[in-house]
Amino acid sequence: MNMRKHIFKTIIAAGLWAVTLTSCEKDEYKVPDPVSALSNDCIKRTLGPNIASLPIEFVYAMAIPKSKGKLAFAEVTASIPGAAGTFLEHRSFYTNSSGVDVPVTVGTPSVTNGATTKMNFTVDTSAASLRYYYIVPNEARGQKVKFTFSVTASDGTTAYYEMGPYDVSKMEIKRNIAVSNNNMAFLSIADMTSYNATSAASNAAKIDLVYLYRTTPTTFTHGLVAPGADAALYLPGVTLPSGVNNATKVIKVFSLQDRNLAQMQFGIYVDDIDMQKVDFNNAPLHAVGLRAENGVWVETADKKYRAYVFINSVNANGSAVVSMLRYDMTAK
Amino acid sequence: MKNKINIKGIFAMMMVASLFLGCQKDFPVDEDGLLITFRRECFVSNFELLGNDFVSVRNGVPIIDTVAQTINVTVNFGTDLKNLYPQFTLATDCKLDPKITGKVDFSDLANPKTWTVVSGDRQVRKAYKVFVKVQ
Repeated sequence: MNMRKHIFKTIIAAGLWAVTLTSCEKDEYKVPDPVSALSNDCIKRTLGPNIASLPIEFVYAMAIPKSKGKLAFAEVTASIPGAAGTFLEHRSFYTNSSGVDVPVTVGTPSVTNGATTKMNFTVDTSAASLRYYYIVPNEARGQKVKFTFSVTASDGTTAYYEMGPYDVSKMEIKRNIAVSNNNMAFLSIADMTSYNATSAASNAAKIDLVYLYRTTPTTFTHGLVAPGADAALYLPGVTLPSGVNNATKVIKVFSLQDRNLAQMQFGIYVDDIDMQKVDFNNAPLHAVGLRAENGVWVETADKKYRAYVFINSVNANGSAVVSMLRYDMTAK
Repeated sequence: MKNKINIKGIFAMMMVASLFLGCQKDFPVDEDGLLITFRRECFVSNFELLGNDFVSVRNGVPIIDTVAQTINVTVNFGTDLKNLYPQFTLATDCKLDPKITGKVDFSDLANPKTWTVVSGDRQVRKAYKVFVKVQ
């Protein structure tokens, strides 16, 4: 019995000793290696989904010890060539004490050749922080895109930095579409534009919503109504062009100010998955009482497109400005 | 020897006392795990209707008749009656039957929805009919 007690005590003591040793292990501080060669770093500044026609912004930083030489040129190669407007800044930015980004010209404006954008340094500098704006091309929708950043110094050395791959959204965007009562009142999701009655008649199958403004009843105000809705109730005084009769489903939304559509400070983004998950069962064919910064989820009558239409601004004279994100449900 | 006997006696008394404590009855709860109290008040004190966007669709205040057990509410023109979230404010300790678990379809205006308010002591049940009218 005594022997067993002794063994038990020994095991406990050994366990405690082991724990003590483990917890006392010391992490040695290591002095970071000084930058002894050309080095670089990169961050992606753009948040939210990557949408065709909009930029993805990166900041590419590079430095070389003064004793080794100076920066010669920087370039970025995208796996899918960027659309027109893609460029690498020829100005290096630093943030001053007031928090303002101040540019300093360090080279000649970049030249894009195919998928590669190149900028040559013209000043004697050993460090720079350049911004790269990649305009997402339409052909990249639904694909992945990645980037190789590189910088070459006067001593012939080159440093590389890989970014991505990033998913490119299947959505398309159209901003600032003007709609007005009894004029540009016919909104097409398929064409992502508004039409007047004459143009709507020749695009009848593509007209998904009618914009109207009514003061009676008082809660009607600005409305987006499907042509197939109860006309007596929700389309009073509207004469629909021949063939305009789509039963588009509409769900009114409050407080969903997508940053790309609102072009304001909001940090909310509508993404592909939101479009896929909206439940349109039992959805009505009308949304009335709309105000600025409201929105509507839309599903076209043929179920080909889903869209989020955001109300940028409204005017009591019976007009509004809307922006939309559209998702093609049939696209692979 | 005397001391030992006293300690034993005290210990025995404590054991008996703890037995009594252990037998104290728990507060009663109902099938939802909610406390059943002694309150008999049973009424709706306020009613709200929220739209699909979680914004009130009421037009004016709801008229709650606690005698006739009816709620009359007018909603804004164009309200999507199939996708509404009703919200009841009840007297203390009451609960609602059936429970509201999501959107409710109020589109059948001829047949108003009914909810039963159950009092805190779970003995009084009052059925309230909700009449919705569109502006």
